Amino acid sequence: MASDGAVRERAPIRDGLLSGSLSQLDGVRLTGCKCTSCGETSLGKKSVCPNCGRDTVHEAPLSDRGVLWSFTVVRHRPPGAYMGPEPFRPFGLGLVELPDGLRVLSPIQCEVDKLKIGLELRFKPYLRHDAERDVVAFAFEPVDKGGSHV
Amino acid sequence: MSDVVILGAGMHPFGRLDKSYEELGAEAAAAALRDAGVAWSQIQAAYLSRMYLPATSGARILRRLGSTDISIVDIEAACASGGAALRQAVLAVRSGEIDLALVLGCEKMPRGFMDPSMIYSPWQIELGMSLNPAYWSMRARRHMHDYGTTELQIAKVAYKNHKNSVHNPFSMYRKEFALEEILHSPLVCDPVRRLEICAPDDGAAAVVIASAGRARRHAANARAVNIAACCHTIARYSADFRCPADSMSATANNPGPTEVTAKQAYERAGMGPEDIHCFEVQDTDAFCEIEIYESLGLCALGEGGRLIDEGRTEIGGAKPVNMSGGLISKGEPVGASHLGQVVEIVSQLRGAAGPRQVANAKVGLAHVLGAGGNCAVTILQR
Repeated sequence: MASDGAVRERAPIRDGLLSGSLSQLDGVRLTGCKCTSCGETSLGKKSVCPNCGRDTVHEAPLSDRGVLWSFTVVRHRPPGAYMGPEPFRPFGLGLVELPDGLRVLSPIQCEVDKLKIGLELRFKPYLRHDAERDVVAFAFEPVDKGGSHV
Repeated sequence: MSDVVILGAGMHPFGRLDKSYEELGAEAAAAALRDAGVAWSQIQAAYLSRMYLPATSGARILRRLGSTDISIVDIEAACASGGAALRQAVLAVRSGEIDLALVLGCEKMPRGFMDPSMIYSPWQIELGMSLNPAYWSMRARRHMHDYGTTELQIAKVAYKNHKNSVHNPFSMYRKEFALEEILHSPLVCDPVRRLEICAPDDGAAAVVIASAGRARRHAANARAVNIAACCHTIARYSADFRCPADSMSATANNPGPTEVTAKQAYERAGMGPEDIHCFEVQDTDAFCEIEIYESLGLCALGEGGRLIDEGRTEIGGAKPVNMSGGLISKGEPVGASHLGQVVEIVSQLRGAAGPRQVANAKVGLAHVLGAGGNCAVTILQR
């Protein structure tokens, strides 16, 4: 949080990616686009289903629990304006399978040697303090942190 | 039989080169024209495949060969750009509108990881999702989990391709590495290691294509190679998890882009994988080649690792793959990569590949796959 006590503006890391009030981080979820025609749920708010092309879609918050479907450890600083912890340290990146029927790409916050397929995860929105405002970014973390936390 | 043929082929070695893209492209184009015995002034349309070059690069490169008023267009489809460009030229010749065309692939890229703003959204870059090998690695990890594919099998692909490249004057590295050296090279994105991935670099490759009728008027027709198929597609919904994807369906079951494109190409050529004698495929990383064995139908799903263990994809094996050394050894100048594969296959089918030669190769296949699920498959026959 900003230390000067001033109320800082909060913004999502991308419009249409998160649901819930940004002032209550506990209630923030990823948002999905569910199609009543083909049944597919995809990440982010959309006006047309990316699978069948119909407009029979509605926004639906996604589950905050998932299971690690696959993962890697990013060992090099990613190119471009990466805004992770400084100095850079290797981090887990994984596909998290949600009960909503999709797998979402996300950083995984845990020690990298704890990563394994099938790991139970929960959604973890967090604040990134940029110069002009606070940005609500996200990761997933193990449900059972086993006493270790990065 | 095909109605469009490759009359001439040529390329500039891939690598980190002290030449402008205009010089590289013009040299490759001139080499292809020379091989075809065709003058630049006879070419009726030209197509440039490129991803990282500025607007109108085709015209800028080819004006070095002399003034012209033909149509010259730049074509981009990520790693499949070369296939997309060749396909447009084939369609134009097949239409009868023209009968002699030049297809050039050319690229000049900065060292290191590719510029992420080309394909990723800002939020993906901020969260650390902009490293292309991360996507390849997650595919590898899941394949290992599902089918028992091993890091050793992945390293064997890199070993084979580096070894093949020693005999390829167009390759960047041309250096054999011991299996142990590959397995102990630094991890880039677990489980994929530095000696198992391709690097962006510079290069150019070109072909002159002609209608079969037109080709008969040229002496080079004696060495012509038929284009039995040239297909390009993009992946259907969630059919491929490749950069810059942010999610994938856990329920959709669309076939992957290589399966779809290869099926189209096999049907067009009236052939199956059993009829093809040599392959050049997208080894962006060594695991990717294993997956492509399966999606091209060289083996059943999950058995790609066994193919490399049994040596079946070595030059002396039943299904040689990446005789040139692949992108792992040549580097991937994105716009030039598929044309580079095509030049290798042409060389193989002409029996002119020297120490890399596959015995009695009469049919060859070139395959590229990249961002957005862009995939191209070209089948050549002599």
